[in-house]
Amino acid sequence: MRVRTALAAAAAALVALTAAACGSGDGGGQATSNEPVRLQFLSLAWQKESIAANKQLVAEWNNANPNIQVEYVQGSWDNVNDQLVTSFEGGDPPDVIHDDSPALAGFASRGYLLDLTPKLPAELKSDIPQPAWDTVTFGDGRGGQGVYGVPFLQESQVIIANKKLLEEAKVRIPTPQEPWTWDEFAEIAKKLTKPGDRFGVAWGMKSPVNRVLNLALNFGGTFFATDGSGKTTVKVGPQEREVLQRIHDQLYTDKSADPSALGMGTADPLPGFYAGKYALLPAGVYLRQQVVEQAPEGFEWITLPPLKGTTSEQGATSQTLSVAADSEHPDEALKFISFFLNGANQAKLAKGDWLLPTSVKAAADPSITGTENGWDVATASAKNLVVAPYLKVNGFDEWKSKVATPVLQEYFANKITLDQAATRLVDEGNKVLERYAS
Amino acid sequence: MTAAHARRRTAPDRGRREMLLLMLPALVPVLVFSVGPLIYGIALSLTDAQGGRDPSFVGLANFGDLLTDGDFWGSFRIGMIWALSVTVVQFAASLGLALLLNQNLRLRGLARVLAVVPWAMPPVVIGLMWRLVYHPNAGLLNSVLRDLGLIGQNIDWLNDFSLALPAVIVVGVWAGMPQTTVVLLAGLQSVPKELHEAAQMDGASVWRRFWNVTLPQLRPVIVAITSLDFVWNINQFSLVYVLTQGGPGGQTRLPMLFAYEEAFRYGFFGYAATLGVAIVVVVLAVLGLYLWRQMREAN
Repeated sequence: MRVRTALAAAAAALVALTAAACGSGDGGGQATSNEPVRLQFLSLAWQKESIAANKQLVAEWNNANPNIQVEYVQGSWDNVNDQLVTSFEGGDPPDVIHDDSPALAGFASRGYLLDLTPKLPAELKSDIPQPAWDTVTFGDGRGGQGVYGVPFLQESQVIIANKKLLEEAKVRIPTPQEPWTWDEFAEIAKKLTKPGDRFGVAWGMKSPVNRVLNLALNFGGTFFATDGSGKTTVKVGPQEREVLQRIHDQLYTDKSADPSALGMGTADPLPGFYAGKYALLPAGVYLRQQVVEQAPEGFEWITLPPLKGTTSEQGATSQTLSVAADSEHPDEALKFISFFLNGANQAKLAKGDWLLPTSVKAAADPSITGTENGWDVATASAKNLVVAPYLKVNGFDEWKSKVATPVLQEYFANKITLDQAATRLVDEGNKVLERYAS
Repeated sequence: MTAAHARRRTAPDRGRREMLLLMLPALVPVLVFSVGPLIYGIALSLTDAQGGRDPSFVGLANFGDLLTDGDFWGSFRIGMIWALSVTVVQFAASLGLALLLNQNLRLRGLARVLAVVPWAMPPVVIGLMWRLVYHPNAGLLNSVLRDLGLIGQNIDWLNDFSLALPAVIVVGVWAGMPQTTVVLLAGLQSVPKELHEAAQMDGASVWRRFWNVTLPQLRPVIVAITSLDFVWNINQFSLVYVLTQGGPGGQTRLPMLFAYEEAFRYGFFGYAATLGVAIVVVVLAVLGLYLWRQMREAN
């Protein structure tokens, strides 16, 4: 008898202990009226200037709002989505979450994020144009639509060029009004190539998918099609093939692009670029920051506007700030976001990250419209951005990592033909998308 | 039931109960931290649990999906190549090192300590260190090979489709060598010297002595350490996660990385649990077969 009592007592103690351990985690929100509300802000800023800008804005806010104290939490793009899934499932996510729009689609459909539609202040809403809001509008997994983040930084694909080499070859310097067409680009890349010495262009294709898909819109290539019943499938038709074929031609037909640059990330060809090994470097606008910082003295470079196919449209995604559905202080969180992303502050953040702001006011800020370091060209390219079609595709992330990345890498490495690549993108891709079709 | 009967039965019963009570403190952590999660994992594998949705019971459907999932089999194949080659190479290299350290060399103590050093490093640190070694532009390996004139231009070891897996295997071998070496060394030292002397008297060559005296004596140790290494290797995660995250294009996506991606990247928790259970079954089956054969041969 005694033994059984002891056992029961031990079991009860264990249960109590576990409950206490679990309970202590979510007690933080019960702030009394005197205590300030505490918000956690997960930031993914990684460039030095950008971290400084972020921290400075948080400090400004904390000084001005003693009742709403924001804690800056440093995250990293490398593992943020794994980290977020874990914390959402555990029920203890940060209140304000910095991420990018491709990740939001999945989170929104699983109910992890708060629909901001009813809470958005009019001023913030009108300062950011509708195409940018489109990049954060997703289905809520129950048939409705919602706005799951505030978009604030966008990236366009430009070309960073060695100015001296362009002048030597006497090629036309393009302007935002009259950009190079893809044909012109191919010709010029050939002209700039000196066999054995220099390649016209270096395509760093370590992570090719987003880049190729964003550029494919130049020729109307969307890669995904949704039928009447809402079922999404992968599509690789003539429009989708244009950019793929053109890059492949540069590598193996024109021989104006360096095949050994294919395994590189976006920034890896920079040493070769400074050394004059490559004349043109297609890259995101943010790469200008590294060129400014690292280029050897006397190195002259120039930012060229986006290429034109049938249009200059590029797929855009946005960096975003979202509020967790489990946050206990959503209204305070949104107040903080409205402050953090107002016109003046967005200009600071854009300058810190060398990206394009979504805010109309910020885009007119003199600090990011001057000719210095290509800001005029970069800011002008924002008008070419349209919402990337893949953003709305549930399961895109898995398609990208399991199917598209290996297929595109093999295609650019000339291991498979374009037809084979297209077949695999479609067949294997549709299998992946089916998992998410419920 | 007589009173005598009852008394005779209660005495050992009480002894058992007291024993259980005494074992309780030791059992609780095992139940809470090992058995509990295992049962939870098995239960989860029978549901369609997904991020943000309430799971419902689906029976063995996940296992059916697993059997027809080409990505899983690809990952499983990579896992087997990894686990087998790491275990075998590790064993061969460690045996050589152990034999060397068993000789009467100068500074033997120091050498033994140095051989154990990698053991003291966490896998994440090992991964970071080797990532620097393999770095395409600033890595030690490329610069040494260039200085020797063996390669013309830098090789991106961890991003090359055909080189990534071998490169990662080398790191796996390196990381696992210390414990294998130490265990084999201990085994070597327990081989009676008399046997070697007797064999030598009979005119057996060094090679003969190794093959007919050392190896049979070492057999139980070898069986134990290779099976442990195999289990350890097939379940490896952190080392490869830090080195390549399963890339390039899934060429180093070991089964555990695959399960991790399913759960924490795509949110299919039920399916990921199924993967875990499947690997447990595979490991038990492979080990059972291996141990059974070894035991039979030993007899």
